Amino acid sequence: MSERVAIVGVAQTRFVPKRSDASPAELAYEAIEQVLRETGLEIERDISNTVSCSHDIWDGQTISDIGITDVAGGHLRSEEKMAMDGSTAVFYGVVGILSGEYECTLVLAHTKMSQTNRNIVNNTAFDPIYTRLLGFDYTSAAALQARRYMYKYGITPEQTAGVAVKNLENAIRNPNAHNKGRFSVEEVLASQLVADPIRQMEIAPDTDGAVALILASEDKARRITDTPVWVKGLGVCYDAHYLGDRDLSDCMALEKAAQQAYRMAGIVNPRNDVDIIELGEEFSYQELLWLEGLGVCERGEAGKLLERGVTALGGDLPVNPSGGLLSGVPANVMGLNRAAEAALQLMGKAGDRQVPGVMTAIVQGHSGFCGQHQCVLVLGK
Amino acid sequence: MKRNVAIIGGGQTYHASRRQDVNQVEMVNEAVRVALADAQMSMADIDTVMVGNMEFFEGTYMTDCWLVDGIGAYGKPGLKITTGGTVGATIVCAGAHHVASGLFDHVLCIGFEKQEEGDTGAILSGVAHPLFGRSMAGAAVGYFAMMGSSYMANYGAKEEHSAMVAVKARQNARKNEYAHLRLDITIEDVLNSKMLAYPIRLMDMCPTSNGACAVILADEKTARDRCKKPVWIRAMDTAHNEQFELDWRDVTTKRPIFSKVCAERIYKRLGVTDPAAYFDVFEVYEPATWAEILWYEDLGLCGPGEGFKLVEKGTTLIDGPIPVNPSGGVLSTNCIGASAMLRVWEAALQIRGEAGEHQVPKEVKRALTTAYGGTNWTVMTALSAGLDD
Amino acid sequence: MPRDEKAKEGMNIPITVEVPYRFAAGKYLSRFLVELRDNGDFYGIRCPVCGRVQVPPRIVCAVCHVKNGEWVKLGKEGALKAFTTMHIPLTDPTTGKPHEPPFAYGNVNLDGSDSGIDHLINPDVDPATIKVGMRFRVKLRPKEERIGDLSDILYFDPIDAKA
Repeated sequence: MSERVAIVGVAQTRFVPKRSDASPAELAYEAIEQVLRETGLEIERDISNTVSCSHDIWDGQTISDIGITDVAGGHLRSEEKMAMDGSTAVFYGVVGILSGEYECTLVLAHTKMSQTNRNIVNNTAFDPIYTRLLGFDYTSAAALQARRYMYKYGITPEQTAGVAVKNLENAIRNPNAHNKGRFSVEEVLASQLVADPIRQMEIAPDTDGAVALILASEDKARRITDTPVWVKGLGVCYDAHYLGDRDLSDCMALEKAAQQAYRMAGIVNPRNDVDIIELGEEFSYQELLWLEGLGVCERGEAGKLLERGVTALGGDLPVNPSGGLLSGVPANVMGLNRAAEAALQLMGKAGDRQVPGVMTAIVQGHSGFCGQHQCVLVLGK
Repeated sequence: MKRNVAIIGGGQTYHASRRQDVNQVEMVNEAVRVALADAQMSMADIDTVMVGNMEFFEGTYMTDCWLVDGIGAYGKPGLKITTGGTVGATIVCAGAHHVASGLFDHVLCIGFEKQEEGDTGAILSGVAHPLFGRSMAGAAVGYFAMMGSSYMANYGAKEEHSAMVAVKARQNARKNEYAHLRLDITIEDVLNSKMLAYPIRLMDMCPTSNGACAVILADEKTARDRCKKPVWIRAMDTAHNEQFELDWRDVTTKRPIFSKVCAERIYKRLGVTDPAAYFDVFEVYEPATWAEILWYEDLGLCGPGEGFKLVEKGTTLIDGPIPVNPSGGVLSTNCIGASAMLRVWEAALQIRGEAGEHQVPKEVKRALTTAYGGTNWTVMTALSAGLDD
Repeated sequence: MPRDEKAKEGMNIPITVEVPYRFAAGKYLSRFLVELRDNGDFYGIRCPVCGRVQVPPRIVCAVCHVKNGEWVKLGKEGALKAFTTMHIPLTDPTTGKPHEPPFAYGNVNLDGSDSGIDHLINPDVDPATIKVGMRFRVKLRPKEERIGDLSDILYFDPIDAKA
């Protein structure tokens, strides 16, 4: 890409199970106020537009961005709601700046999972004609995917549990995270079986929170910060919808989205060309599955990569040094948090969870059950 | 924008109060097929698909994921934006950004609503804050009723003026084979229709329709190589409005409001000083008759308090000097997720000279469209026949 | 599909989507509702830059993009900015019952506020006597019945009007 777009600032609220003291606007404003303050930017003077990310059905508000219009700088201005995972909001924000229409974009995602019931909300993602009345939700659909993946490639429960062990331990160093601790594989496998083979500790917990980040065109970025994080590549792709239309262990959409992003960023071998990955493991098996879809290793090998410590915090290619989604990140916010965490690593501002020498990062997020829609971003210094 | 963007094709379904013969996937697919045929393309030519929809309406979370087969997005890039009533136009803007960015050349933009599959009234009352105002649930009708009563009290307009707008819309719709309410009505019919909320009568309000609209956007090279009559998107602007201050219904408000602010900005970009002279046709988003009258004023087609006089004089009739909503507008067809896109598509048809019976009888080089939704939100697009227009 | 082809109706699947919610009022709206419930008082909040007093109180002035500052106690009377008479029954989601038509409701700026509150007008008032600009007084439920919701307001009562 000739013109470049950078992430120039990020801010996140603490992620906690319940923020009953704050409305969505107040919650979102915590992150917005912080990112504006830290970058020294002002809405009218500097921000061209806002891309927000939330869902009517999560917020219980028809046109959920109504609830945050005032805090997000939407009044009399352009604010568009990307109703997908927050990673796609970054994608769209970048496209807007590359189009020449905008120079500097505020990207915001918020959700208060505590205000509603995720099983019921997620059930409505299933088509009303065939599947919804079966009572599916994201967890039960994911269970089908996990089972298929484990069957086809020999992934073991110990390996999926190992993801939870790694990420929950990483989360200890993340002051924003609420789900953290040192656990053993046995403890994870002893936690409540929710939808075979997925256990409670392998599921991203209900969380309230918001993330805000600011994108800017190259010119503007250099005036705002010494540590711009360039968006070097981006890609999105849809897979089929009906679970039976797919081999759920395939990663067609992720592979295509990754190919697009890698081509733009000049990434040839993600295993070697990249320093960290922040991906969307809403369920622990997904970390392994998405790593394979991202081309980090051969199909079926991600479990071994984990076992060899390659993806550990101190390993060759740390995956989810933040603690990932398992540490507690709200729906919709997930991908924006992945992008924020990767950006912090690239800025050298990741505190105790900083991985040394990060030059290039992959961010991955997904929307729809079983990762039907995938988004991949490549960020770099 | 870094690259020029043109509408090179599009299409819509036959909008209706009932489409029990198709599910949402099939309904959207109808519009997609017509648009592809119009652009003489197949899905293989499309680089990315974007969908706009009022997500709560049909009670499906992640509608775009379910629709993937019908919209042709399988294995392709794409995304979904939802901003309510303005979403159809927002999706056109999003599509234009995608083309202008240089990353995509051919973009398919879709807006739709299968209105009958949700409880429109209940969901619309969900627009209000759950703890402050939702229980009042005057919904859209009450809002526009207040607008009407404020307008009449301040400017001396009469209920007949609202009826004139209602008649114009449906008579125009009779010339539009795709419109939903193609009614041969008179002013008297309107004034005799059921009173919903004073002064809004049944015929002063938009219907709820099932329908879809799709447009295909492309880069300049494609437009020149493959399209006989590309319609260029010259400018776009969006203005939202904070949740609680719904000023449009108080005509005396001195605050800068979304409609005027957006119009001023887009006019400034284009160098427009006399919009009535600059644009040949207008497609505005009018959920109720009084909204259309306010659009005339907020778009600067006349001074404040004079909108109803334009109606009286017939200025905005299909063959008038300032034709507004020759398609029949939202008053005749309202599939909410598509309605704002229909304004753009109908304006494009006018520029192409392909609006059939509802083509305005003059050369159309430039058109302006508005959208409406949310808590007083708008998106405006300015289209033209040539890049020099 | 062209309009004249007779559409063959297919199957219909009735589904009710029922999603439970617990809405946090947040810091600002909570105070407004608590003052209303406990003291029968109305509060707005003032923007430190443009000075407008907003109801309901909220964290940020959307116009000035700054945090709102001073809490302002409002009067219990105000002028009617707009109103309508509803002729269709609309269900009150908090009770599940419809407000029976015809009923008038309007938007009133309580003295001191720059924002209006939408609420019912006293159902005993003849709607034909209502005019924009008239002054109304808030009629509240008795304290023991108030719960901290806009329904703690019964209606707006015209001042000096005959019931």
